[in-house]
Amino acid sequence: MSGSNRLAGLKARPKDTTVEEVRRVDEVGEARGFLDRSPRKKPGRKPSPRTFQLHPKVFPKVGEAIAAEAERLGITQGQLIELMWEKYEAHQG
Amino acid sequence: MPVIVMASPKGGVGKSTCAVLLASEFARMGADVTVLDCDPNKSLTRWASHGAPSGVTLKSDVGRSEIVPTIRSADGDGKIVIVDLEGVASQLVSRAISQADLVIVPMQPTALDAEIGSEALALVREEEEALGRSIRHAVVLTKTSAAVKSRVQKELEAQLSGAGIDVIEPSLVARAAFSELFAYGGDLTAMMNDSEMLTGGKVDKALANAQAFTEAVYERLK
Repeated sequence: MSGSNRLAGLKARPKDTTVEEVRRVDEVGEARGFLDRSPRKKPGRKPSPRTFQLHPKVFPKVGEAIAAEAERLGITQGQLIELMWEKYEAHQG
Repeated sequence: MPVIVMASPKGGVGKSTCAVLLASEFARMGADVTVLDCDPNKSLTRWASHGAPSGVTLKSDVGRSEIVPTIRSADGDGKIVIVDLEGVASQLVSRAISQADLVIVPMQPTALDAEIGSEALALVREEEEALGRSIRHAVVLTKTSAAVKSRVQKELEAQLSGAGIDVIEPSLVARAAFSELFAYGGDLTAMMNDSEMLTGGKVDKALANAQAFTEAVYERLK
């Protein structure tokens, strides 16, 4: 078998690729167990390249006080901790 | 030009081997063949990494969301698209089938392969019904014995024919050269002409088998 002229006889049938048709195909497949098995991405928010994540655990009273103070000052808890750290460093000399 | 999809939810039945043989032989005929490797095992990517035959272009890592647009973009005048799918029941498989001009379901002549492979055949028929158009499909028996046709193979062929399922003749015989293609890359013709390639088998017989198989596929695409 050789010769590209033979290939000229090969034909593709017209096929719709509308969203509706793909949805129908997915439904038919799912009913027969052909499910979406794409690898799942890692859940959760990606870490920010600008900030650093702390996971401190403190006593409830301290936590509530920090949250309330941040709210009173109109800043985030992270910004309050940054202010506290500045004071700490200044105190250390 | 046609889109040929290799489909079976069972792994190890010969989907990638069929894809490589068809891609090589159609390229040898002068077609511009695009092979889509949708199998996470990347068998075709490994084959092509050793050197794909002239006229064969490979696209790897084609997932569920990309399969339809990738087939559409690869399709065109003088081009044949061959899709090698993963051996699982996934939406990627059902979407690829919807874009096929011919679905080939490779099956070893065993009861287990027949049972799992029949899921792909049933899916094709259900998609035909849902889409209101026919999707040509056929079974090819793989890794068959060169010497004798087993009783199981005879029974399976009779069952498939009895169910009105198109069975491609010839079957693909278990040949060392078919497996070695993935180690050496290229095609069987190159393998036959290179004395340094050690296949431990009869490459000429393998080539004749691959050519007859491609001819049978060609007849179904006319």
